Amino acid sequence: MSRVITITSGKGGVGKTTTTANLGTALAMQGARVAVVDADIGLRNLDVVMGLENRIVYDLVDVIEGRCRLRQALIKDKHFPDLLLLPAAQTRDKDAVTSEDMIELTNQLRKEVDYVLVDSPAGIEAGFRNAIAGADEVLIVTTPEVSAVRDADRIVGLVEAFEKGHPRLILNRLKLRMVNRGEMMSVEDVLQILAIDLIGVVPDDELIVSATNRGEVAVLDRASNAGRAFIEIARRIKGEQVPFMALEENTGVLERFFGMFGRRPRGSER
Amino acid sequence: MPNLIAIKGSKDGLRLQLDESAVWSEVLDALRDQLGQASHFFQGAQIMLDIGERALSEEELAALLALMQQYGLRPETLASTARESRNAARAAGLTTRPLGRKIVESEERGAALFVQRTVRSGQVVRHHGHVTVLGDLNAGGEIIAGGNVLVWGRLRGTVHAGALGDREAIIGALELMPTQLRIADLIARAPEGHAQRQPEIARVVDAQISVETWDYRK
Repeated sequence: MSRVITITSGKGGVGKTTTTANLGTALAMQGARVAVVDADIGLRNLDVVMGLENRIVYDLVDVIEGRCRLRQALIKDKHFPDLLLLPAAQTRDKDAVTSEDMIELTNQLRKEVDYVLVDSPAGIEAGFRNAIAGADEVLIVTTPEVSAVRDADRIVGLVEAFEKGHPRLILNRLKLRMVNRGEMMSVEDVLQILAIDLIGVVPDDELIVSATNRGEVAVLDRASNAGRAFIEIARRIKGEQVPFMALEENTGVLERFFGMFGRRPRGSER
Repeated sequence: MPNLIAIKGSKDGLRLQLDESAVWSEVLDALRDQLGQASHFFQGAQIMLDIGERALSEEELAALLALMQQYGLRPETLASTARESRNAARAAGLTTRPLGRKIVESEERGAALFVQRTVRSGQVVRHHGHVTVLGDLNAGGEIIAGGNVLVWGRLRGTVHAGALGDREAIIGALELMPTQLRIADLIARAPEGHAQRQPEIARVVDAQISVETWDYRK
């Protein structure tokens, strides 16, 4: 049974697109057939992050408006032929698409692949609603900053109001040194506020920036801590029980992460 | 003075009941007092006017709408048994609803609302009576109640208790770290760095909101 998973955040710039590209690639590395969909109409990015910008002929709006067939618009990844990208239109805006269009589109994609990952635009308006319209489940990305967590909280409420089940959390760009100095919100601090299930913690990693700028994804780089974290999240999406990674730079905070693993925030276990 | 104004909460918004037999100008005066004390309670709510059997002319209705307009409020619906009132309302662009002869008083003014979930940023819980939350009230979330508010969890958002003008109302929480507290017409924010990890109660003392630790052994 294929699954449609939307990656969203509320606040912009917390790493939705990077997360989508890395999780899509990680799932493909693990043998799944994956389609990643850029639902940020008018501000497309996912193709750039994946280094596929120069292969775009048709886009999502072309499919919806019937100018091409779905398969014509799907772009094969450079590394994994079972990873497909459906790019957003750059010259249109979100009004070109309705929620019904997105449900129809994701249902077509279900027939082609095992996982459909939808990269949501920031915000809580029509673009966000379109992005979650066809979703079976929702992953919320946040960084350990008060403003990002506040927006994530808003999104959790909306996702529940749209009856998309219990969203799961990816905590991105955690700087363990700062947490240890008491200068950054810890995993527990964030979970205490959001009270949802955690699916992964991604450490802050400069390799992400350099990889993204080259149009490569971090999961292909064995040296990347963030890449390893995304690989583990992909395995958890598939339903594997993967212990939470202990970060390398830490001394004496291992317990902190293992303690976290033992903890189940409120809400049901899947 | 008898209560000329009654406010009921329901799933579709607030029902503002105006006494059907008192002199109309007195009803308007009472409403002006009520709105003056508690206009915040109504902000953003869907409002239905319920005037019972009273027959209103277009001029009388216009006076009522103008008064509400002064407080930034516009009712969406008017309910009345009198056809004349409903015609006037339709002419003023409101939707209308006929009323059965006698309204059943199913909801008491003091009825409490029990909310068992996290009230998140952007969510508003609005109720004419008391509100109890089993869960957290997160920053950016809001509870507006005519009566008392108790949060059995962490209170980090904004609470307005006694929002219809009752300064006797209280606000309590297991951890009180509010963005802002309001009781009736008074407003307070928590002092910077206030982090008491035990239950506290806020109430009005000498026209100021004051917070005290809840000693359950007392």
